[in-house]
Amino acid sequence: MKLKSLLLASFALAAGALASAKNIELLNVSYDPTRELYVEFNKAFAAHWKAQTGDDVTVKQSHGGSGKQARSVIDGLSADVVTLALAGDVDALVTNGRYIPADWQKRLPHNSAPYTSTIVFLVRAGNPKGIKDWDDLAKAGVSVITPNPKTSGGAQWNYLAAWEFARRKFGGDDKAKDFVRALYKNVPVLDSGARGSTTTFVQRGIGDVFISWENEAFLALKEFGADKFEIVVPSLSILAEPTVTVVDKVVKRKGTEAVAKGYLEYLYSEEGQDIAGRNFYRPAVSETAKAKYENQFPKIELFTIDAAFGGWTKAKKDHFADGGTFDQIYAP
Amino acid sequence: MRTILLRKSAPALLALLALPAALPADEVSALREQLRQLEQKILILERKQELKDETAKAAPKPVTVAASDGRIEITSGDGATSLRLRGLVQGDYRWYDSANDANDTFILRRARLIFEGKFNNLFSYVVQPELAGTIQILDANLNVAFSPQVNLRVGKFKTPVGLEQLQSDPVAFFNERSVATNLTPNRDVGLALHGDVLNKTVNYTVALLNGVPDGGNNVTGAADFDSDKSVAARVFATPFVNDKDSLLNGLGVGFAISAGDYATTAGRTGGYRTDGQQTFFSYDSSVVAAGKGFTWSPQGYYYNGPLGILAEYVGSSIEVQRPTFGVREVKNFGYNLTVGYVLTGESASYRGVTPKTVFNPAAGTWGAFELVGRVSGLDVDDTVFAGPAASRLANPNTSATKLTAYGVGLNWYLSRSVRANFNLFQNKFDLAPGAAPAANALIADDETTFISRLQVSF
Repeated sequence: MKLKSLLLASFALAAGALASAKNIELLNVSYDPTRELYVEFNKAFAAHWKAQTGDDVTVKQSHGGSGKQARSVIDGLSADVVTLALAGDVDALVTNGRYIPADWQKRLPHNSAPYTSTIVFLVRAGNPKGIKDWDDLAKAGVSVITPNPKTSGGAQWNYLAAWEFARRKFGGDDKAKDFVRALYKNVPVLDSGARGSTTTFVQRGIGDVFISWENEAFLALKEFGADKFEIVVPSLSILAEPTVTVVDKVVKRKGTEAVAKGYLEYLYSEEGQDIAGRNFYRPAVSETAKAKYENQFPKIELFTIDAAFGGWTKAKKDHFADGGTFDQIYAP
Repeated sequence: MRTILLRKSAPALLALLALPAALPADEVSALREQLRQLEQKILILERKQELKDETAKAAPKPVTVAASDGRIEITSGDGATSLRLRGLVQGDYRWYDSANDANDTFILRRARLIFEGKFNNLFSYVVQPELAGTIQILDANLNVAFSPQVNLRVGKFKTPVGLEQLQSDPVAFFNERSVATNLTPNRDVGLALHGDVLNKTVNYTVALLNGVPDGGNNVTGAADFDSDKSVAARVFATPFVNDKDSLLNGLGVGFAISAGDYATTAGRTGGYRTDGQQTFFSYDSSVVAAGKGFTWSPQGYYYNGPLGILAEYVGSSIEVQRPTFGVREVKNFGYNLTVGYVLTGESASYRGVTPKTVFNPAAGTWGAFELVGRVSGLDVDDTVFAGPAASRLANPNTSATKLTAYGVGLNWYLSRSVRANFNLFQNKFDLAPGAAPAANALIADDETTFISRLQVSF
């Protein structure tokens, strides 16, 4: 029957139209300060992927405190990739629901950390409190802004950097604990993420010093004016290695494995590394980008989490798990 | 809070501004530092409140359970997932004139539990079992809403042809749909592409189905009897629906068709019933559908305030066969014109009437009342009676060739969920030439029927 053939053809066409209209969409669940980085990178990657495959890719971004973001993925947020502040938060996707394999960090170069950063201080113009190093932050009358280590990866880097500074300067973990306790007595507000703390310090005008991601401090200078703030580089800081991975369980379900993998690999490309440097992250693998942005970053003595704290698993258990040192020293 | 605190601080601030001339510089400096610290405290309090508000805003909203008019709905905090439990119970008393009074009866006409749900903002479903009469699954379908313009429904659902057939049972003007509905296919199994286009002024449906005959229903959701599928398509326009001030805001016009190749077992071509639900026409029990079938229906409605008008015309042709005789094409026609007026002033619509008050004698409120009237008819192809008894398709002594049905009624909306209906029908039969029905046959004389109903629909 002609009519029936026509109808069947209509259904086929409709189904075909629905299939061809599919747009590849990725969700990148990241931590707080990477908004600007990934806005620029996503645009570059979409152009790269279009040229390479002809497909259109739209990458949606979700930002928040790193630990909180990992929890959101575990609770069902369909992240194709996570680009979190620290490997310890990504590890949570292994232990809670096996979203990724245990050896996820070996799948990409440089332990899956395409860029690095560190922790510096942002103070108000003229440095009215004379902040020079970590020990100035524990002095009476100094108001310190830092996020909550329970929810923010950046805050954990801050906490551990302060701890290691005190351990080296004053000798031993007990002294370090006393120092960190004194420092957190000077913290009037605990935001859940680094971007919230930036708002507290920069826009709300609270505090004398902001313990900040290096890139976040540079961004504040760039956006709000070098005449309003200054960066103070401490004598010692931590090598922060934000890590990235494809969320296997999600991409297999959504059929986005190839594009998600390509997305993260592109972070290691010359363009990806250049974009990282341009957004005040330290390029990890490209020698060209490293050389280009070398003078942008201050020279600091950096220690690693593995060397000082035996890796993230141990550091999280000792300091940030329920009953850890943070719970012992901080009373809201 | 900041304003209040600064207002409280204002006298101190003014005093401070006046002090420099009177106080030593170090005291001024100390006071300025105190003021700075005071401001910091205010800012910190404000920021803490801000964070508290942000946390409260970002917190996942709890699951809500809502109940109104007997209906229960459970909805996830984000609104993406919900389950709605509804029900419909109709209890009738049917009274017939003296010629048919043996049929007087109480009857449980419908008893349904309806499960409706949605999830992922994309999928929705309906499962509706019928527990009165023949127990069956009336509707069981999944709808995928790609967009308001493109939806795909799969499962068992109403065939998109008859306007009155597509109207929900509990909101129809009369207890029983008009005799024209005898000619429109009812529920079937298949899939349908549907949606609203042109700024929601046009609704379209195109369906591919197993195929059911006139007035038929795929009761069991069974597999297709033959391998041929039928198609149904309907376009319905409400061109002034977006113009709330237009007199034609409630106007809707449409056209629907269904077509297919049908082959059925004996008797599946079914019979046609009066408004009183008695069969006035049936094919010989050996007659089967054996070829092409085609139904077409221009249709429309108009609602304006308490006034409602619904009209449709249905044309049907189907190829049928009495075994050992040739295939014959039968053409039947039906029509329906229904008018309703809500006496208490509520607005009428295709989706029913919502009373402004509920029945509560103590409070002096009585709900809403609606008067309804209908003229409908069904004209059966005279050729079905042609030929000798051994070869004709229908018996002229038990089946009429034409029915003209008149109905009037009063609908009493006791609440949004409870309705009482009182319908009086007068059915006039035209007989085939030479017909000689028995004195007690239904078609021997006009049928007068009074049907009352109490309905709970939530």
